[in-house]
Amino acid sequence: MADPKITHTEVLSLTQRGGHIFQLIVKAPPGDWTDPGVFAKLRAWAEAPYVYPLLDRPISVHRFSKNGPERTLEFLIREIGPGTSFLAKLKPTDKLKITGPLGRGLLSLAPDILSQPLYLVAGGIGLAPMACVLELKPPKPLLFYGERSGCFQIDRDYLASFAPDFMASTEDGRGYGQKGLVTGLVRKALEVEKRTILACGPRGMLAALAPLARKFGVRLYVSGEAFFGCGLGVCLSCSLPLSDKTRFRLCQEGPVIDGLKVDWDKR
Amino acid sequence: MSADLKVKLGPLTLKNPVIAASGVFGYGLELAAFCPPENLGAVILKGVGAEPWPGNSGPRLVEAAGGLVNAVGLENMGVESLIKKVLAPLKKRGGVIVGANLIGHSLEEYLAVAKKLAETEVDFFELNVSCPNLSQGGAAFGSDPELTARLTEKTVRLARGKPVVVKLPPLVTDITEVAKKVQEAGATAVSLINSLPALVIDAKTRRAALGNITGGLSGPPIKPLALRQVWLCARAVSIPVIGIGGIMTAADAAEFIIAGASAVQLGTAILADPRTPLAVIEELETYFKEENIHSVGDLKGTIKGPWE
Ligand SMILES: Cc1cc2nc3c(=O)[nH]c(=O)nc-3n(C[C@H](O)[C@H](O)[C@H](O)COP(=O)(O)OP(=O)(O)OC[C@H]3O[C@@H](n4cnc5c(N)ncnc54)[C@H](O)[C@@H]3O)c2cc1C
Ligand SMILES: Cc1cc2nc3c(=O)[nH]c(=O)nc-3n(C[C@H](O)[C@H](O)[C@H](O)COP(=O)(O)O)c2cc1C
Ligand code: FES
Repeated sequence: MADPKITHTEVLSLTQRGGHIFQLIVKAPPGDWTDPGVFAKLRAWAEAPYVYPLLDRPISVHRFSKNGPERTLEFLIREIGPGTSFLAKLKPTDKLKITGPLGRGLLSLAPDILSQPLYLVAGGIGLAPMACVLELKPPKPLLFYGERSGCFQIDRDYLASFAPDFMASTEDGRGYGQKGLVTGLVRKALEVEKRTILACGPRGMLAALAPLARKFGVRLYVSGEAFFGCGLGVCLSCSLPLSDKTRFRLCQEGPVIDGLKVDWDKR
Repeated sequence: MSADLKVKLGPLTLKNPVIAASGVFGYGLELAAFCPPENLGAVILKGVGAEPWPGNSGPRLVEAAGGLVNAVGLENMGVESLIKKVLAPLKKRGGVIVGANLIGHSLEEYLAVAKKLAETEVDFFELNVSCPNLSQGGAAFGSDPELTARLTEKTVRLARGKPVVVKLPPLVTDITEVAKKVQEAGATAVSLINSLPALVIDAKTRRAALGNITGGLSGPPIKPLALRQVWLCARAVSIPVIGIGGIMTAADAAEFIIAGASAVQLGTAILADPRTPLAVIEELETYFKEENIHSVGDLKGTIKGPWE
C-alpha cells in the first residue's frame, strides 16, 4: 500500500484537450505514483473552514514522468461541477493541495499483467489512467474509447499521442470513430481474439463488461467509481458489494479490482 | 501561563476536549499518519453492533448545502472482529482514549455489545440511540425517552465502571427531557447532535442522490441548530455535554464550549482534512492564551446576551 502524504505542490501547466477535458501537470509530490489506477485527492479552493465544495476531489494519475531530477504528475480532468471547475482555472505557479498516492493500483493486484496483450476499455474520462498503463508498454495494447456524445470526445491528436492503437465510439454517432456503445466494439474484438480486459469508466459500462468477460473466459480488471467521502478508508461511503456477499472499500482495496468478483446487481 | 485543555469524563481525564466523532475515524488507526489518535482527547470508533451490519446500498454520500448527507447505514465489522482485530493495536500506541459507539436494532443487541466490550480495553461507551428500533416499527430508539433511559441504565450496569455517554437523537420534541432521563439513569455524559434526517434530489433527473433515498445531514449547515440543542441541554443537566455538529475550526469548538459543552466532537471536518482536529487543538490553545482563559471550565457556559 502506498504511503500517502498531504502536500501543496506547484502547477506547471494546464492545457485544454477538447470535450471539456483539460490536462493538468504539477510537480510530483513524494511517493510512488507509478502503479496505474493510483489516485490523488485534489483541492484548488479554500481550505479550513472547508465550506464549498467541502471535500477534496479524487482524480486518477494520468501519467507520471521523470525527466532527470524533475518528477511530474499529470491529471486528465473533465470539468463537470464545482470542484473540477476550480481545478480548470489553475494557472502555472499556482499551489494545489494534493493528498496521495492513494489506493491500490493494477500492478499490485495483478503483477503479471504487463506480459500479455490487453484490451483497454475507457468510458468517458475513464480514459485518464489508461495513459499510465500504456507508458508501461504492454505488448500490442488496443484501446477502446467510448463517449456518450462527440462533443465530449478528447482531441483525437492528443489521444493518438499516448495511444498508438485505438478504436473510438460515440452513442450519438458524432465525432470520430463509430456509432454505438464501446462494449459493442469490445465484443467484436473478443470474437476475433481473447485478451485480458482493463476497464475504467461509468458503472454501467463496467457492469456490461463482466458478462462479456465471463462469456469469453478472459480476465477483467476495472477501476470503479463511487462517491468518496475520505479516500482514506474511514467513512465507508465508497463500499461496494462483492459476489461473495462481503463488501470492500473502493478507495482502499481498490480502485482497481477484479471485475468478476463485484456483484454488479447490487450497489 | 499555559492553557490547560484537560477535561474529565467520569474517571477519565482527556488531554484536551477535541474528540474524533464516530463514523469518520474508522477503527482508530487508519488516519494515524495524519492525526495520531493519542494527540486527541479521545477517538470514537465506527458504530459497532452485536453482529456485522452490511449497511445501505450506494450511493452513500453526497454534498449538499455546504455539508454532507450520508446514508452509510452503519456498516460495521461486528463486536467480535472489533475485539479481535482493532483494540489491541490501537491501545498499543499508548495514551489513546478509545470510545466505542454502540448500535443495535433492539435493546438486547445493544446490551450484547456492551457486555462483550465491558471486558476489553475500551475506555468508554457512547450509545448511538439514533438507530432504528426494529421491534417498534423502526423508529429511532432515542425518540422514546423511557426506552432510552432503560437502555442507559442497563448499559451502565454492564459497563464495569466505564463511562457511558448517550448520543442523543437530534429530532425529538424536547431534547432536555431525554437528557434529564438519561442523567437519572446514570449516564456519565450526553453527546449531541447526530446527523439530521435529510433528502437530496436532482431536479434534472428527478433522482434521489442516495441509495437509501434519505440520509443524515452533517457539517457547517447543522452548527447553529446543534449549538442551540447543546445550550438547552447544558442548562438542563449537570453531567457533561459533548457538543457535535459542524465544528470545522477552533472558533466553532469554542462556541460550543461557551454554549455549555465540556468537550466537542469533529465529524465532517475530519473528512474535509484528517488533520483538522490537530489544527483545532493548536488554535484552541492560542485562543485560550489570547483570551486569558485558564481551563475549559473557565470558558464553559459563559454565553452572554448580545447587549451584555
Ligand atoms: C478513484 C477515482 C478516480 C477518478 N479519476 C478521475 C479523473 O482522472 N479525471 C476526472 O475528470 N474525474 C475523475 N474522477 C471523478 C471525479 O472525482 C469527479 O468528477 C469529481 O469529484 C466531480 O466533482 P465536481 O465538484 O466537479 O462535480 P460534482 O457536481 O460535485 O459531482 C459530479 C459527479 O461527480 C461525483 N463526485 C463528486 N464528488 C465526488 C467525490 N468526492 N468522490 C467521487 N465522486 C464524486 C458525483 O457523484 C457526481 O456524479 C475520479 C473518481 C474516482 C472515485
Ligand atoms: C460518513 C459518516 C458516518 C457516520 N457514522 C456514525 C456512526 O457510526 N455512529 C454515530 O453515532 N454517528 C455517526 N455519524 C455522525 C457523526 O458522528 C456526527 O454526529 C455528525 O456527523 C455531526 O457532526 P459533524 O457535523 O461534525 O459531522 C456519521 C457521520 C458521517 C458523516
Ligand atoms: S471514501 Fe471513505 S472509506 Fe472510501
